[in-house]
Amino acid sequence: MKKSILLVLVLLLGNMAMAQVKVTGTVTSSEDGSPIPYATILVKGVRGMGAATDLDGKFTIERVSPDAVLIFSYIGFITQEIPVNSRAIINVSLEPDLTRLDEVMVVAYGTSTKGTFTGAASVVNQKSIEDVPSVSFEQALTGKVAGMQITTQSGQAGTTSSIRVRGIGSMNASNEPLYVIDGVPVQSGNAGQMSDYIYTTSNAMASINPSDIASITVLKDAAASALYGSRAANGVILISTKKGKQGKPTVKFKASVGITPDWAYNNWDPASTDENIEMYYEMFVNAGLYYEGRTQEVSSQRALAQLNKRFNQHGYSFTAPDHTANSLTVGGERAGSYYDWEDALFRTAVYQTYDLAVSGATETTNYYTSIAYTNESGRIKTNEFDRITGRVNLTQKIGKIVEFTTNINIANSNKEGFNDTRNLGGNPFLQTRNLLWGMYWPTHYDTGEPYTNRYGSYAYNPVFYDNEWDNYSKTLRLSASEAITVKILPELHLKSVLSYDNSNVRDHLYYSPTHYNGSSRNGRVVEMNTQTTKLVSSTTLNFNKTFAEKHKVGVLLGWEAEENKTDYVRAEGSDLPTTALHTVNTAGVLDANAYYWGNTMVSALSRAEYNYDDRYYVSASFRRDASSRLAPVTREGNFWSVAGSWRIDKEDFMSNVDFISSLRLRASYGVNGTLPTSNYGWRSLTTYRDKYMELPGGTIATVADENLSWETNYTSNLALEFGLMDQRITGTIEVFNRDSKDLLQYVPISRVTGFYSTLKNVGEINNKGIEIELFGDIIKNRDLTWSAGITASHISSTVTELYGGQNIIWYEPTGGDSRTRFIYKEGESTLAIYGLEWAGVERETGKNLWFLNNEETPDLMVDGRPATYNHNNADEKILGDVHPTLFGGINTNLEWKSLSVALSFTYKIGGYTYDAASRDCADDGYYWERTMSKEQYKHRWTPENKDARLPQRVAIDMTDVLQRSSRHMHPGDYIRLKNINIGYNIPKRLTQLVSISNARVYFAGMNLWTWAKHDTYDPEVNSYGSKGFEVPIGKTYTFGIELSF
Amino acid sequence: MKKNKIIFAIIGILLLSSCEDFLDVKPSNSADSATSILTVDDAKVAMSGIMRNMTSYNYYGRNFLIYADAKGGDFAIASAGRGLDGLYQFNHSQTSGSYSGYWDHLYQCILQVNNLLENIEKIEAAGNGTNQLLEYKGQALTARALIYFDLVRLYGKPYNMDKTSLGVPLELKVVDAAAQPTRATVEAVYNQVVADLVAGAPLMSKSIQKGYINYYANMAIQARVYLHMDNFTAALAAAETIINDGVYSLYDNDKWYDSWSNEFGSESIFEIAMNENEGDLGGSSLGYYLLPLGHITGASGWFMASDYYLDRLNEDPTDVRWSVMAEDETSTDVEPRFGSCMKYVGGHDMKGDKGKASATNVKVIRLSEIYLIAAEAALRLPSPNKIKAKDYLNEIRKRAPALEPATEATITLEMIIDEKSKELFTEGNRYWDMMRLGWQIELNDDFIQPAISIPHRDKIIDRTFYKTILPIAQDEIDANPAIGEQQNPGY
Repeated sequence: MKKSILLVLVLLLGNMAMAQVKVTGTVTSSEDGSPIPYATILVKGVRGMGAATDLDGKFTIERVSPDAVLIFSYIGFITQEIPVNSRAIINVSLEPDLTRLDEVMVVAYGTSTKGTFTGAASVVNQKSIEDVPSVSFEQALTGKVAGMQITTQSGQAGTTSSIRVRGIGSMNASNEPLYVIDGVPVQSGNAGQMSDYIYTTSNAMASINPSDIASITVLKDAAASALYGSRAANGVILISTKKGKQGKPTVKFKASVGITPDWAYNNWDPASTDENIEMYYEMFVNAGLYYEGRTQEVSSQRALAQLNKRFNQHGYSFTAPDHTANSLTVGGERAGSYYDWEDALFRTAVYQTYDLAVSGATETTNYYTSIAYTNESGRIKTNEFDRITGRVNLTQKIGKIVEFTTNINIANSNKEGFNDTRNLGGNPFLQTRNLLWGMYWPTHYDTGEPYTNRYGSYAYNPVFYDNEWDNYSKTLRLSASEAITVKILPELHLKSVLSYDNSNVRDHLYYSPTHYNGSSRNGRVVEMNTQTTKLVSSTTLNFNKTFAEKHKVGVLLGWEAEENKTDYVRAEGSDLPTTALHTVNTAGVLDANAYYWGNTMVSALSRAEYNYDDRYYVSASFRRDASSRLAPVTREGNFWSVAGSWRIDKEDFMSNVDFISSLRLRASYGVNGTLPTSNYGWRSLTTYRDKYMELPGGTIATVADENLSWETNYTSNLALEFGLMDQRITGTIEVFNRDSKDLLQYVPISRVTGFYSTLKNVGEINNKGIEIELFGDIIKNRDLTWSAGITASHISSTVTELYGGQNIIWYEPTGGDSRTRFIYKEGESTLAIYGLEWAGVERETGKNLWFLNNEETPDLMVDGRPATYNHNNADEKILGDVHPTLFGGINTNLEWKSLSVALSFTYKIGGYTYDAASRDCADDGYYWERTMSKEQYKHRWTPENKDARLPQRVAIDMTDVLQRSSRHMHPGDYIRLKNINIGYNIPKRLTQLVSISNARVYFAGMNLWTWAKHDTYDPEVNSYGSKGFEVPIGKTYTFGIELSF
Repeated sequence: MKKNKIIFAIIGILLLSSCEDFLDVKPSNSADSATSILTVDDAKVAMSGIMRNMTSYNYYGRNFLIYADAKGGDFAIASAGRGLDGLYQFNHSQTSGSYSGYWDHLYQCILQVNNLLENIEKIEAAGNGTNQLLEYKGQALTARALIYFDLVRLYGKPYNMDKTSLGVPLELKVVDAAAQPTRATVEAVYNQVVADLVAGAPLMSKSIQKGYINYYANMAIQARVYLHMDNFTAALAAAETIINDGVYSLYDNDKWYDSWSNEFGSESIFEIAMNENEGDLGGSSLGYYLLPLGHITGASGWFMASDYYLDRLNEDPTDVRWSVMAEDETSTDVEPRFGSCMKYVGGHDMKGDKGKASATNVKVIRLSEIYLIAAEAALRLPSPNKIKAKDYLNEIRKRAPALEPATEATITLEMIIDEKSKELFTEGNRYWDMMRLGWQIELNDDFIQPAISIPHRDKIIDRTFYKTILPIAQDEIDANPAIGEQQNPGY
């Protein structure tokens, strides 16, 4: 509206001016060459003279002095001054302004600009997201936002990511941020039930097509997020989807194909079969020689007997004429060849995506529509993901005061996965690294029949069994939101949004009667339907007015109600008549379950902002939430924030400091909360699952604290934003402190009570940190621009108070294998690894050594400290911290004419990771029938390799390797080229020949290069710092083309 | 503006609608514990829940039975690492191999029983007691006695070895979440077990209660408990009550094998139901654990009979109890070895007792055991009654038709205990007899081929070995430091 008034004024006044020449031209965006409508052109020094571009970006200015200078500007673009120099045609390409302080950003319940917003927030624009070859956008955010850590549990296509904004603020409740799409909180995390069955997740966020995203704002401090109240303590991720641009309709088509031929890094690469045979033999010889007092000859014979016992049936036999490994010879019918399981189970993954988007806008209507198809065939042959998404964003003005906005997104995805943990039978990755010998073949050597028995130690024949099961998770997600904005007065807007977010996940799981998971039931099929509905109704009244030119006031009042409900239906059939039919209908025995759960919340919210002369800003917010997840007494919580900022650069005393182009100080303090994860955590419940003899059976299942309450976060934030040398260098330095109190904790209780633990508000955690974001234009001229940015964060996350000061020992929940042991202890990290301190290997004997860390009588001294051979004698202690000292990203962009190269690195310095696989694949003699890693082969102790890092292998059931200890803890430092993007805009003169307005070809690579301090497994670990047998991530090479019409 | 008015009206209605109703979201699959047992019918539901909890793999569903055979010398393993072999190897410490599932689960059962008993008292106090309610009260008291009896044997020294030593925490009410209970003496626990049994018995009917506890199940547990307390007079009295009342009858030799493919046979005094989609453990059921390796998919050959057991049974190659044994993985044409027991898959055709191998009931107490208890008690009375002893023994011993019946002159305690082993193989008996009697246990380590060394115990042990009772697990000590002071000696 303002713009059109200006335009009228400009035109009216322009006509009155004196002039000599007429100038025409087109204003386009340098980003994609599209025309910019409504750009303003002013004549420098001539008051009131100028023009605006039309829908095609064309402009005409009559009677301009030939030596005049024209000023071209448009919001969000860098203003350019161009001398006329007597030219009649001037075409201008405007550069988008990514660093300017008046950049519009989406914030809680509205928009703001970077220069005026008083909270801590980071914006990631569309360019960083669009080409990343990933089904979900989270991977594109890695390293882009200071203070935010993104981890992925698994490299399976379509699995969930985990995001931590400013550390860990809760022990029991969620640490995941709130996701808000176009102003409406939405479902996130894992959808469906499959994780309970086969430890594979389905990411609800995968229903968002990354190409539909216009920008992402991450809200970090209380001032930014307190308006979201009880859901905001872990930060808020605001996603804005695209809108149309005024002008001609744009049709965009994009296609890309990516391949992942290999893993991104080493992942416990297996030793060769011959090396494994040697280790196996050696392990039994050592047992005989050193622990059973047998001769070399007898020990060797016994070791050979073990080998023969296991592998004769597979067509191999073993001899060792001189009773040592040197003469160990493999004979038998299959001698000389081994089966290649890696080849049988893995493939080059292929990722392809096709996007078609049509968008446009007129003065009254704005639309963006898209349809996209994505398909990913994972590295592991049994993993497939495909998705089709459609989106319509439509805004329609009706009359002058009413505006309707409808956003509809539909996504249908299908994921076929597999068991992704230390589940011994079902995980192809684990099988190849720990269970499947090259001497195991899919067929019997004598009969050629498929081998169906267990090979040994939970190794199954996947070539056979992969045809005996199937599963999929089909997700249909439908999100629709309808907003009405009523401009009651120019200063007073009422906005009401009703949103419906529904996801319907159909999980299917089948095991044939021959499959080891189906045999006891003669075949088994499970169908589960999980329908989750989130209804949000939110109404806000927004008042904005400027008084006496210098006093800007904004007030927001609102009311919100939210209902979440999940309906679950499960049907299971067993005793199946035929392997051809995988349906419950055909089953002899039926079992069913159906129930629902959910929660509700009502909230009142308010915010007030005041700004004096665009120099001093203050704001305050208040929100009151009431949630069904808490008892009536404790259900209501008040959350608030205050914040202020000061534009120091606008002060008079700064006018002489030329090299500082902008400088702003901001500070905030606020309180927000976290709800318990459990819907009914405050209720002591009796369940009726314990059916007995076809009668219902009741069991007390929980012991609850009725006074269960909110977790409360007190966050303060102080930031300095600066721009140097005309904004060539910009940056933010931010420090924060977050005290999380009344934390919910499952307090372990005596099991004599009948329970393991009870949920209480007891703990306190402190997170404090410093975040730095720096961005600079190193070279900037007409043909060449080179810019670089860096983000760096340091977070210290400490447990400050525990129930009765009592330590809590807990295990990482990932994968259900209790892989890492942690301790919550006052004054220690929130991710303090707790276990036995391994003292390495005794040089002369190859035995495990352990530091005692107690007053027991030592067996020996290691490095001057009391140590023992027997881990049972040693005490546990805190071994290290998972939190890194510093983490972040480095991004650089090079643009030369039509060519662009963008690199983004992520890095981590300090902190430990925990190896959850080496207890299996670098074992010193517990699981005999398993295969070992290359690392184990290279680094195990032998009389010839006395300086070895790993102990001697002895087949006496040594449990040393099973202890959660510092042996499995490694430095987590790494740097990785997370994304690389090389793009080339095909010259217009070529594209226009085929009526294409813009064409771009690109190459995008993911995880192409990595350096890690510990090189055995991928350094991108999960949010608990561990890496186990989940499928690792791969190196992806993507080629794409994007066409605009 | 008309449109705006409508919008304001909608908002107004939403604002005024009751927040409290909107916010009262109750679970759809569970009820408030405080009010879940208010009537006799509710008590029945709770009782069913207790029985189902007893079918857990941690208890009578599997591990509690395997415990006694694996540790008692009747079982052997062919290879280490297949699962639960830590029991056989006595690989226990408070941090690893603590097998705390027993402790955790049995106390979970105790909670359910105590909760039911408390609520029954409330119903009675409100004047709503009925005979049926008394029945549930009797069942609950008896269940509590059985669970404490099992707990004190797992964690405490045998009663006749050192009854003043520590048993287990003895809680008779629902325990507060903050409590840190400590251990009572073995004697105190036994006294409570007896008190509960004595209080419960008269409340229950004498009719057969399939799948639940009745008067005779109570008497049978009394017989077991008194035998452990060396109170032979009381043990004999309890056993004879059952025998003389004649509600249950012994299987004839030609019916013995079939009894394993039938539910609730004539000997079943207390049998817990393992139904499909209930307690049925599928591929990890007790039945599967005892199948020969690879017999069907999923059968991993966890446990089989030891050479000593087979030698014992082979005193009579025509013994009817051979009928339920199958060839194990080491069996060859030249040297067949019938080491695998098919009791829990319904015999050789593996149809269980309801059509499915793994859904086979567990017979917790059979009449055969009561005869053998009676025989032992009679033999060990202050003034032994050898006539009764041999008569009771011979009723079972005749299942080995080729063996001479025992006589007053030939009967020995060893004969009775051996007969128990033969008859009750895989039924969770042997170890407890060895502990109670203080006899030596020899474990069949040489059966494991190729041989391994077992560093956790000697080949021959007796109850003076500290690992014959389990450690209190680290997790319990972490949450309940007071009990850390009461760890079993040696751990």
